[in-house]
Amino acid sequence: MSVQVVSAAAAAKVPEVELKDLSPSEAESQLGLSTAAVGAMAPPAGGGDPEAPAPAAERPPVPGPGSGPAAALSPAAGKVPQASAMKRSDPHHQHQRHRDGGEALVSPDGTVTEAPRTVKKFPRSGTGATGNRIQKPEAQYHTQIQFADQKQEFNKRPTKIGRRSLSRSISQSSTDSYSSAASYTDSSDDETSPRDKQQKNSKGSSDFCVKNIKQAEFGRREIEIAEQEMPALMALRKRAQGEKPLAGAKIVGCTHITAQTAVLMETLGALGAQCRWAACNIYSTLNEVAAALAESGFPVFAWKGESEDDFWWCIDRCVNVEGWQPNMILDDGGDLTHWIYKKYPNMFKKIKGIVEESVTGVHRLYQLSKAGKLCVPAMNVNDSVTKQKFDNLYCCRESILDGLKRTTDMMFGGKQVVVCGYGEVGKGCCAALKAMGSIVYVTEIDPICALQACMDGFRLVKLNEVIRQVDIVITCTGNKNVVTREHLDRMKNSCIVCNMGHSNTEIDVASLRTPELTWERVRSQVDHVIWPDGKRIVLLAEGRLLNLSCSTVPTFVLSITATTQALALIELYNAPEGRYKQDVYLLPKKMDEYVASLHLPTFDAHLTELTDEQAKYLGLNKNGPFKPNYYRY
Amino acid sequence: MSMPDAMPLPGVGEELKQAKEIEDAEKYSFMATVTKAPKKQIQFADDMQEFTKFPTKTGRRSLSRSISQSSTDSYSSAASYTDSSDDEVSPREKQQTNSKGSSNFCVKNIKQAEFGRREIEIAEQDMSALISLRKRAQGEKPLAGAKIVGCTHITAQTAVLIETLCALGAQCRWSACNIYSTQNEVAAALAEAGVAVFAWKGESEDDFWWCIDRCVNMDGWQANMILDDGGDLTHWVYKKYPNVFKKIRGIVEESVTGVHRLYQLSKAGKLCVPAMNVNDSVTKQKFDNLYCCRESILDGLKRTTDVMFGGKQVVVCGYGEVGKGCCAALKALGAIVYITEIDPICALQACMDGFRVVKLNEVIRQVDVVITCTGNKNVVTREHLDRMKNSCIVCNMGHSNTEIDVTSLRTPELTWERVRSQVDHVIWPDGKRVVLLAEGRLLNLSCSTVPTFVLSITATTQALALIELYNAPEGRYKQDVYLLPKKMVCSPATLLFLDEYVASLHLPSFDAHLTELTDDQAKYLGLNKNGPFKPNYYRY
Repeated sequence: MSVQVVSAAAAAKVPEVELKDLSPSEAESQLGLSTAAVGAMAPPAGGGDPEAPAPAAERPPVPGPGSGPAAALSPAAGKVPQASAMKRSDPHHQHQRHRDGGEALVSPDGTVTEAPRTVKKFPRSGTGATGNRIQKPEAQYHTQIQFADQKQEFNKRPTKIGRRSLSRSISQSSTDSYSSAASYTDSSDDETSPRDKQQKNSKGSSDFCVKNIKQAEFGRREIEIAEQEMPALMALRKRAQGEKPLAGAKIVGCTHITAQTAVLMETLGALGAQCRWAACNIYSTLNEVAAALAESGFPVFAWKGESEDDFWWCIDRCVNVEGWQPNMILDDGGDLTHWIYKKYPNMFKKIKGIVEESVTGVHRLYQLSKAGKLCVPAMNVNDSVTKQKFDNLYCCRESILDGLKRTTDMMFGGKQVVVCGYGEVGKGCCAALKAMGSIVYVTEIDPICALQACMDGFRLVKLNEVIRQVDIVITCTGNKNVVTREHLDRMKNSCIVCNMGHSNTEIDVASLRTPELTWERVRSQVDHVIWPDGKRIVLLAEGRLLNLSCSTVPTFVLSITATTQALALIELYNAPEGRYKQDVYLLPKKMDEYVASLHLPTFDAHLTELTDEQAKYLGLNKNGPFKPNYYRY
Repeated sequence: MSMPDAMPLPGVGEELKQAKEIEDAEKYSFMATVTKAPKKQIQFADDMQEFTKFPTKTGRRSLSRSISQSSTDSYSSAASYTDSSDDEVSPREKQQTNSKGSSNFCVKNIKQAEFGRREIEIAEQDMSALISLRKRAQGEKPLAGAKIVGCTHITAQTAVLIETLCALGAQCRWSACNIYSTQNEVAAALAEAGVAVFAWKGESEDDFWWCIDRCVNMDGWQANMILDDGGDLTHWVYKKYPNVFKKIRGIVEESVTGVHRLYQLSKAGKLCVPAMNVNDSVTKQKFDNLYCCRESILDGLKRTTDVMFGGKQVVVCGYGEVGKGCCAALKALGAIVYITEIDPICALQACMDGFRVVKLNEVIRQVDVVITCTGNKNVVTREHLDRMKNSCIVCNMGHSNTEIDVTSLRTPELTWERVRSQVDHVIWPDGKRVVLLAEGRLLNLSCSTVPTFVLSITATTQALALIELYNAPEGRYKQDVYLLPKKMVCSPATLLFLDEYVASLHLPSFDAHLTELTDDQAKYLGLNKNGPFKPNYYRY
């Protein structure tokens, strides 16, 4: 990564605009947001409005246990990134990262003295577009501070803009490569809507709609990389090659379209299913992957930056085909299910089952079931043991260090850290930090988890008892306002504050948007909040999820989700009549164990088998399930 | 105390009872002191069957492998001062009165009360939860009017429980659930304090039932609560005094065996009062298994073999709660740990925790220590034992004594040599030795102590379960076996959440400061500020 200093003239042109002076309408016009986009995002659009912090845009439609069914069932849910639905393993957020990465560099706060502005150049091999983009003048002349509003610019590419010289840290190497799944296709040189294009793949089929079919080759490479880390799906392909357990299945799917999903889709194809696919999120599609899928014959209807209208059009194109009627649904967020319920209720007569992955979607299904309106069996794959443990404990154990290192380059040994909450996420964070030699304190409300923390050797404290002395505050409670302005006021200089929990409520960031505090964007995702006396707090990702904003989600974790989905589909499709009623089911224990067993070869792990005699003694089947349902693992 | 986790439930009734007795005998054999007359022959695990005799320790051979013996003979922190058999008169024939003139008890020697009091005071130090329960409930006396008949091990820890129940307003009559486990001086201290105790160490079977009968069968006093460990008391009342059940409000049962018997009764439609299963509470399970084994594996191995762990290769069979505890402790000391597992989910957990998952026969030639904690049988077979390297240590942390196929070692070509209490060398014809600990029985019960803190959790749970059953409004509990409720009524005014409450009572001993939800936060989460904080299916 080289840092290129733009000519002095160019630097001088960047006007200094105070954040609070900028009205939302100005922001709108300057950003060139489409009316539709602004309309959809009206409240959070005021990137410059101190009263309406933009991160709200990231809030899920179902923020907590208390939210009602109305919100859950709103079709708009599909448009807004659903943080709760994609809590951790969410590919969409990788793209969030792209955008944030761009936005983050748009950070010329007007308050600091003149400094030569630098523009970073990103000479990514094979990605001319990225390199070119930075040269475009429009990108350099964004002047207002934008708080995480980049996600609202549907029609534009992420902008990278000049950054000030870094006063606190020199190492920038890691800052700009947050995502492992690089997207090559976000250049907006092609402004034609994919809906208006006529494209054909090499076999002459045009039953798809993607941004640009010519990117298929790029996409294929991405898929091949993902395949390496998704051994379970590959093993599934091999094992089931002979029998084709999904022969005759017609699956309509609505998920994030990423390389990992592509591996899932092609696995389903290899198992005998016919698939039609749409995206469950208007941002998250990797265009080149969609192209690769289209090229290999999958009817895919998705591109990055769909409008709301496009979104539903794509779903409709998947479902509404002459001479093809789906008999399985794979959904993420419940939009597809919702659409079919509203538009094609008759279709459910043929459908054997719904597989739903996200918290939101599962919530909607339970609502339907409660209301007696669920007319097919549905499988909740969100709450399987393997998925839960991986999404939370293991994933966070890795990403907390990754996220902190990438953003702050800090050293952990001997640092005092307070972790708020000792659930699965908290346990992961504490284990990782302890291993690095940090002194870890824990705050907790639940006495059982508190006792666990004690037994694991962590000091259990209240936050205000240690807030003056700690170097890092990490929240993972799922609660709101865990770190209040009062706490922030009492922190010591250069204390790092970040959130690993749920959405962006845990740290009361809004309380920091007061005139006496100066915000300084020092890096992508890193803000210094400066008190009048000169004290600085380092706020990461503006209180949003650190592991989604500043570190990667390992493909291995996504592999577990995808495998679970595939197995759930197989189970529902092949279940004998009457095994599943019109209700929401958890994945059978045996399947859960099978998902785990498919991932064991990665570790070269050799599972022991019970002898007949031992199985008899334990009263178990030799092939599982091995544990009762209430077992806690 | 890993066996509650893994105990399978083969058959019923007597078989189970026998199993329970054997396990209890194992559990408490460490309490026997080592002043027994030396015997000549080596005894193979037969001492637990000699009900009418004291547990015997056999003579020891000269130690060929280790000189340090200091730790071998002090297995128990609860030393018993009173097992000298110079007084051969049966307690049943003695006339004893305590200092207040009451003779409504039967113990070995009331004069030992002072010793016993000291033991109880030591135990109180580590049972802060019960003590704080005493303080909190002092005003309201939630057990006022309760007449509790109990049948548990009579140890200093139980004494703290009994005295807590009394402080909460209950009247108690108590007998022992095991003929060996009674600490005579503690029983004396309880008798001196006015509790009707009928128990001494080394009862005969006849004595055992006589004691229980004395507890239950009393003119002008009828029990209305039962606290049982193993189900013997419940069984006796059912057989002899079925009418007593008319007045009984509930049974609290702690052991796996007793819970199993209750479920049998319930299935047969014969359970006529509500019963509470306190064995399966989160806190108890986690403590009995994960935390307790994490400590006792090192303790047990050190005491028996003085082995150094750093760099040693260890294979742990099974990665359940017990296995997780063992692995964590061994890893912390620098051992190289391998896992064997049958359940892919647990296997994946082991992988993610950084352990190699192998099959036993892949590593059996190279490992220095083999630890079983599967709950299964014949996990380590003769074939494995044949292939182990010289001086490999083999021990069991799992369930009863089935995991290592010890019987297969009783063949003529192998020489057994008892080198220490609980340590056998099994010598192959070629001179290879395998070090077998506790003859394949539970290492943590035979060769290490059970921390008072763990017993405190059990006792607190029992006390709260009694309070709940006694105060529950008519009709809340039917004639069935209940798990601990998430929500309980302590007094009509206070709602408590049992598992969480037990945990919270133990937090002060860590000087742990629990955070409280603000009203705003509680509303956001949709929780009550006082709990419960987690749904029932939460995995902790």
